[in-house]
Amino acid sequence: MSQRPDGSGKGPSHRLRFGAGLLVGTILVAAVGHRLLTTALGETARFGEDRRAVISLRALTDVVARAGSGEAVRTVVAGFAKWHPQVAATRVVLFDGISLEASTDPADTGENAPPRRLKREEKDLYDRGQRLRAAIETNRAEGGGRKDEVEKERLPDGSVSLAAPIERDGEVVGLVETRRVPPPPAPRPSLLTTLSYVVVPVLLFALLSLVIGERRVALGILAALLLAGTAWGYGAQSWAKLSRARTALEASVAEQVKTSAARGQELLGALPATAAPLAEAPPPGTAPEAAPAIPPAPLDPASWDSDAFRRPLGLSDGAGNVDEAKVASALEEAKRTVTRTTVLLGALALVLVGFIGLGGLAALLGTLKTHRVAYSYVLPAMFGMILLVFFPFVYGIILSFTDQTIYNSSAPLTEIWVGFQNYVSILTDFKVARTAADGGIIFNYQNFYWTLWITIAWTVTNVTYGVVVGLILALVLNTKGLAMKPAYRVLLILPWAMPNYITALIWQGMFHQQFGVVNQVVQMFGMDPVSWFEKPATSFFTAWATNGWLSFPFMMVISLGALQSIPSDLYEAARVDGATRWQQFRSITLPSLKPALVPAVILSVVWTFNMFNIIFLVTAGEPAGSTEILITQSYKFAFQKYQYGYAAAYSTVIFGILLIYGVFQNRMTKGTEAI
Amino acid sequence: MSLFSSRSRAGADEPPHFPMHVLLVLATLYAIYPVLWVLSIAFSGKQSLAIADVPSNPTFWDRLRAVVPWPADISLSNFTSVFADQPFSTWILNSAIVSIATTILGVFLACTAAYAFSRFRFPGRQAGMMSFLVSQMFPGTLMLIPLYIILVKWLSLGSTRTGLVLAYSTTAIPFCVWMLKGYFDTIPRDLEEAALIDGASPATIFWRIVLPLAKPAVAVTALFSFMTGWNEFILAATLIDKESMYTAPVGLRFFVGGFSQQWGFFAAGAVIVSIPVVALFLYLQKYLVSGLTAGSVKG
Repeated sequence: MSQRPDGSGKGPSHRLRFGAGLLVGTILVAAVGHRLLTTALGETARFGEDRRAVISLRALTDVVARAGSGEAVRTVVAGFAKWHPQVAATRVVLFDGISLEASTDPADTGENAPPRRLKREEKDLYDRGQRLRAAIETNRAEGGGRKDEVEKERLPDGSVSLAAPIERDGEVVGLVETRRVPPPPAPRPSLLTTLSYVVVPVLLFALLSLVIGERRVALGILAALLLAGTAWGYGAQSWAKLSRARTALEASVAEQVKTSAARGQELLGALPATAAPLAEAPPPGTAPEAAPAIPPAPLDPASWDSDAFRRPLGLSDGAGNVDEAKVASALEEAKRTVTRTTVLLGALALVLVGFIGLGGLAALLGTLKTHRVAYSYVLPAMFGMILLVFFPFVYGIILSFTDQTIYNSSAPLTEIWVGFQNYVSILTDFKVARTAADGGIIFNYQNFYWTLWITIAWTVTNVTYGVVVGLILALVLNTKGLAMKPAYRVLLILPWAMPNYITALIWQGMFHQQFGVVNQVVQMFGMDPVSWFEKPATSFFTAWATNGWLSFPFMMVISLGALQSIPSDLYEAARVDGATRWQQFRSITLPSLKPALVPAVILSVVWTFNMFNIIFLVTAGEPAGSTEILITQSYKFAFQKYQYGYAAAYSTVIFGILLIYGVFQNRMTKGTEAI
Repeated sequence: MSLFSSRSRAGADEPPHFPMHVLLVLATLYAIYPVLWVLSIAFSGKQSLAIADVPSNPTFWDRLRAVVPWPADISLSNFTSVFADQPFSTWILNSAIVSIATTILGVFLACTAAYAFSRFRFPGRQAGMMSFLVSQMFPGTLMLIPLYIILVKWLSLGSTRTGLVLAYSTTAIPFCVWMLKGYFDTIPRDLEEAALIDGASPATIFWRIVLPLAKPAVAVTALFSFMTGWNEFILAATLIDKESMYTAPVGLRFFVGGFSQQWGFFAAGAVIVSIPVVALFLYLQKYLVSGLTAGSVKG
């Protein structure tokens, strides 16, 4: 790295550079670290809040289920509300009778006091219960957890509304809905602490560098060490904060379960003993006996700390003891993440320190300043290109490493990462053909290698046809003194001038099996009409015929231009020397055509390889995808099968093929340019 | 081949023109037949893609009649209906708006960059030019998937003209830069150098001297960009779902794709859509050829 002196003629100040680098590096570590820590603490707090909400809801639901109905439920609900100030309102609905059994909502007093039938406006409440019932049934039938059995809804004012089903003897008989006030905001890490992680290392560096002087290597090592220390320190204190928060959370959740259980038991115990579960009505005909006072089943607090499918998290038992082992393993996982992030951040910051410290930034700024006019001129187009071309291109490649389909398109990419799996399944699937039971060969038309073969055949046949026909016509048109040349020329360019999607549709119409003119001509000569799109070979022929028609004018024009630039003296001289017409063609015409034809052929190969419109509109891949070329096949995977990740990998493979071709032809043209 | 053997005389005689005319007439018929076909369907007033009905026991001449591109009845009803009964005028308007916007965006962004690549030498010039060339070589369909996700899912620009303009600009900008740079390369630098000696700033040189000289090239580039946007099918078909937002190509395809077989409307629409671009193309095709092969042909 060259040492560019600054304007004053002194050498660059290493202390300044490394100091600046260290400052930038520590700011990066501190800022990103602070942000990450805030997010992590917030997530932990929210996790805790959610669990606390579910616990109190489940506790209440269990108590209500055992209370039965009527006044008992109301007593229990009122008592529960007293103990839990975070619950703003509770409502209990029983399906039998569509009745609002109990409510602590301030709106449900006086005339609206429960028990009463649900009003029409409160249909949502009833629907919620039905949804939960359906969800439980689905989950039971499928044997798994797919639909939420506890519904959680975040209201616009920040409060959370939860609902859980009341189950009795395996049946859902109602629901309990609670609304919790918005939780207090999560504790944020101290800004002062974070700032100190920037100020302290830089100050240290400034002091120590006075001692070391301008020695580059020593300064570099010092800066690197200080940065590494900062990163490590920040990571360690972040981890300490996080694990403390999490441990405290687990303890408080376990404690809450214990107290809720105790209180619930109290409430149930305070009920009159006649509260019997409302399931059994005495069979008709028998005299109603005084039902024996059945004590309500004991509460099951261990199941309250659960997820949306009412599966217990198992992090604590009902008695307030935290399962240390499980919590420890959860913490281990988090620790690994923190370590990984710290190392990554530290490495990045280290690179920055090196770049700035060793003068890279100064060099960059110098270049920008020297060529600032040029760069400012290039900027608008470059900006557009980066936004519209390079970024999508890179994103496409990233997408090819995932398994994104239309169903998981909102999932973050890290969750659906599959690595090279798409590429492996595209490139290593060699099962192109197999023998059928009757001995015939059946081709797998979706196979990559079949499509590749079709694409290559497509390109070669079309380019050959275009060059041959175009060249012949150009030679004919180049004849001296030919009449009506401009007229011929204009008419012969028409296929190229027409928009190619229109001509593709025209040719598709002409090849129509019943009314198409091609079959009319075929029948004119006594043959049977051909069902063009029912066999791969004939279908390919239709596309080839269309594209051949489209592409010969381009070759013709190029060849004509090249032919017209050959001075006629060369031919004169050759004739005087006795060369035959064929010799003249081989030694004068062909070599002069090459510099024009070679780039034209190269362009034509690329265009034909990617000629989407013709295949898509003429054959649409019929029959059964046998005439697809690579690019239409990739389109089908993306927009008809909705496999975005797979299709992106397919497109990248196409890009790779074109790139190899580009490099290959670049070498070849360099060789043939010695003309 | 008879072409060559007829010309084997040693004198300065002209080779016989008659066989060449035969060949050329046949080739011309081959070239223009589909165009005549679509014209005859357009003027037939019917929706069928058969030029003439074929009786149940057709003779050779009956079939020949069905092949000759002259409609059985001449009528303008396809043309009037396609405007009156179908949203065709909306589609043409959409195409026009999108193409013009793409052209303006492309040329606008490309002018300064092309000038910089042509006149200045700066680090990253080679890499920049290569990236523009490479991105022009690789078609929009390769990036259709990320473009679709970005435009439709992230930016919610599906079925909008803005989204389509952004998508078209991905090929418009490199194309414009490439063509304009090629033209700037051919403008001699004497004028600029003289102006520099007289003390003009680079900005003045660009805006007051070079750009006015480049007006024909800018016009040609703009017209080609317009044509590319006008003729583009697949990006529009993928990004636009709403019928009212179709561009002309998607609309024309709509007439004959899938279950609808309204060839009369398709033909009439195709004729209307093609006339401007065919005329433009015939006028401009020599620039396209020289622009494409400039730089690759040495001498």
